[in-house]
Amino acid sequence: MTRRAADAPGDAVEDYLDRLLVTLSGSPRQVRYTLAEVEAHLRDAVAAGMAGGLTEPEAQAQAVRRMGPVTGVTGQRSGLARPSLALARRLTLTAALIGGAGFVAIGGAGLVARVLLAAKGDAFLTAPWPQDSYTRADCARWLAGRPGAHSCVTAMLADHAGDFLLQATAAGLFGLLVLAGYFALRQHWRDRATLTALPAGTAEALGTALAAVAAVACFGTAFDTELTRRGIGAGEPWSLAVAAAVAAVVFAVALGRARRRARPG
Amino acid sequence: MRSERLKGHLDLLLMSVLSRGPGHGYEVITRLRERSDGAFELPEGTVYPALHRLEEADLLASAWKVVSGRRRRIYRLTPAGAAALAEQAEQWRVFSGSVARVLGMPAAGPAWRPFLGGALA
Repeated sequence: MTRRAADAPGDAVEDYLDRLLVTLSGSPRQVRYTLAEVEAHLRDAVAAGMAGGLTEPEAQAQAVRRMGPVTGVTGQRSGLARPSLALARRLTLTAALIGGAGFVAIGGAGLVARVLLAAKGDAFLTAPWPQDSYTRADCARWLAGRPGAHSCVTAMLADHAGDFLLQATAAGLFGLLVLAGYFALRQHWRDRATLTALPAGTAEALGTALAAVAAVACFGTAFDTELTRRGIGAGEPWSLAVAAAVAAVVFAVALGRARRRARPG
Repeated sequence: MRSERLKGHLDLLLMSVLSRGPGHGYEVITRLRERSDGAFELPEGTVYPALHRLEEADLLASAWKVVSGRRRRIYRLTPAGAAALAEQAEQWRVFSGSVARVLGMPAAGPAWRPFLGGALA
C-alpha cells in the first residue's frame, strides 16, 4: 500500500482505527488483538450496511457511529483520563532522559577537567577567590587538606579543583542511575498510548536544544575568561562546554534516528 | 433502553448470549440486538472491555479463527462462566420478581425471558 493510499482522507473506519490505536493502552499484543477485533467488527458492520442498501461512506459512518467513542472500546471513563496519564508518563520519561543525560554530561565534563588539570594545572581549572573574601581559618583548612601546597592560594585552587572533580563525578554517577531508571520505566511503559503521547523525537529535540544552549553559554564564558582573566579559571567552563557540545551532538543524532523511524513508508 | 442502565447487566447478557454458542464480538452484539428486538442499543465498542474482563475472570475463553476470510476472536462460555451465568440469572430472577411484585406487574417481562430462559431452566 502506498503512503498516499494509506493516508487517504474520508475513510471513517480507518480514521476510527487510527484514533483507537493511539488511545489503547496495554501490552503490544493486547493492543494488536483489540485493534484486529474492532477492525473485523467494523468491516462486518460496513458489509452489512452496504448489503442493506447504504453506500460505502454511509455504511462506514453508520458502523463508526454504532461503535461509539474509542474510549468505549478502551473502557476508559472519560476521553481525557488515560491520555493524560499517558502524557504524564511520557513527560516523566522525557524528563528522565534529558535530566539523566545532563548529569552524565556533567560527569563527562569532570573527565575533560581532569585532562585540563593535568595539562595546565589548578589555576587553569578554577580561579582563586578575591583576597578579602576568605579568612585565615579558610587558609588553614585548605593547607591542612593539601600538605604539599606552598601557599594559601595554591591550596585553595587545589581544593576547589578537587571539589569540582568530586561534584562532577557524583553528578555523572547520579545521571547513570537516572538513565537506568529511564530505561526501566520505558520498558515498563511501552504501551502505545504512552509512546505516542508526544510527537516522535520530542525528547531528543528538547535535549538537543538545551544542550546546545548550555554549550554556547559555556563556550562564551570560557572565551570571556580567556580574554579578561588570561585563562585563569577557564578550565571549568571549557570542560562543561565540551561536554554540553558532545551531548548536543548525541541528542541530534538520536533526533535524526527518531525522525527516520517515525517516517512512514 | 438507556445504555447506562444496560451496562450494569452487560456481563450477564453477554454470558447469556454466548451460552447459546460461541461467537465473535460483532456476532455477540448482533444477537443481543436481535434477541431484544432492538431494545438493547448500546455503543457496540463497549462490549469489548466487557468481553476482555470476562475472559480475564476465566468466565469466557477466546481463540483466533479465520471466518469468512477474516481473522476473528471467537469467544465461548467456560464452565466457570456457565456457573456464574446460572447464579447471576437466579439473582436477577429474584430481584426482578421482587421489583415486579412491588410494581404490581408480572415477573421477568418478555424482554428478559429470551436471555434468561436458558440459564433459569
